[in-house]
Amino acid sequence: MASAYYEFYRGSSIGMALTDSLDELITSGAITPQLAMKVLQQFDKSLADTMVKQVKAKTTLKGHLKTYRLCDDVWTFIVKQASFKMEQNEVITTPRIKIIACKNGDAIEAGKK
Amino acid sequence: MSFALPARQVTFGRPNASAVQYQQQQQQQHGLASTYPYQPTNGLALPGPSPLSNPYPQPQPQQQPLQPTVSLSQSPPPTTVPVAGPSTSTAPPVPSTPVPLTLEQQHITAVEGIVPTLQNIVATVNLDCRLDLKTIALHARNAEYNPKRFAAVIMRIRDPKTTALIFASGKMVVTGAKSEDDSRLASRKYARIVQKLGFDAKFSEFKIQNIVGSCDVKFPIRLEGLAYSHGQFSSYEPEVATRFMLLLFFWLTFYKLFPGLIYRMIKPKVVLLIFVSGKIVLTGAKVREEIYTAFNTIYTVLCEFRKP
Repeated sequence: MASAYYEFYRGSSIGMALTDSLDELITSGAITPQLAMKVLQQFDKSLADTMVKQVKAKTTLKGHLKTYRLCDDVWTFIVKQASFKMEQNEVITTPRIKIIACKNGDAIEAGKK
Repeated sequence: MSFALPARQVTFGRPNASAVQYQQQQQQQHGLASTYPYQPTNGLALPGPSPLSNPYPQPQPQQQPLQPTVSLSQSPPPTTVPVAGPSTSTAPPVPSTPVPLTLEQQHITAVEGIVPTLQNIVATVNLDCRLDLKTIALHARNAEYNPKRFAAVIMRIRDPKTTALIFASGKMVVTGAKSEDDSRLASRKYARIVQKLGFDAKFSEFKIQNIVGSCDVKFPIRLEGLAYSHGQFSSYEPEVATRFMLLLFFWLTFYKLFPGLIYRMIKPKVVLLIFVSGKIVLTGAKVREEIYTAFNTIYTVLCEFRKP
């Protein structure tokens, strides 16, 4: 089921770069728009899987939870005065951050059972 | 006319008080005036009066009936009035049967300066309008909606710090408020949020369903003594006696599971959780006065079972 993956990684820098490249290829006539769509779908799937299986980096977040929302299995958090503590004890602070948290592929399957 | 109420201000002429409630309160007021002073009737040793520690002076018997607009202010009249509070050796010869005091007969007062603190108020409101919960969850802040788990939107606001359960039928439950006014204000705020999302929500049938209070009598209590003796004390009322025997049985059986004593007071209908430490939780009241009355009633009993 191709639509089981969220498309929000397309908005990341790597996703934007891929979309731009595909656009160029389409305009130059090198690939068809259908193929481009297929590539993007594979990108959604690959990125979701990679995030789960290969990314081991962790960070801890502290801040004031201003707003939260849960709807359609998607959590949204707006955190004020957030500070991320990275693994190398590096601290990054921001006055405001929006976190959107979705279930990954496996969790979606688990939720259906 | 004004007399001080414990801790938080109670506005008897609260805007939310329905006519019936108000009438009850009126009766209570009249009752207070006519039956004062409080006569302990349950055959228990009572602690001495403590005029100094009691911040709650009694209303004068000859006082005028309450006007609907009168809100009871915090300013106490001169405390020359006899202080309610458990009476001393001057207590009249006690009858052997505990005669349950009616709510009207009792008055709200602070025994030994202890006044139960309201911890939670649960109220219901009918918004009188079908709601699309997904729209609410998507557009309101601090909302959770997971229809697989629970068929209501769970929404929170920070002031007054409360949680609301909003159902598709338009019914709403608001919990967590610490006072009646806060509960009503919070309910209105939730109704307003729903209105702003485009629903034709009204604010109807607001009703407080439960009030929870707690306090600390500051002395340890012999719970087993309380459970035993209270069975005897209520032997004139077989139904009540059975209740207490059951209470004793369950308490002895499940003491390890729940180290408190569950005391189901019949009048006012309030459930009390009594702990060895002297901490008390009172729940099941519909009006704050029931919490106070229940506490005053139990306090005299608890003094009897003070741990040496």
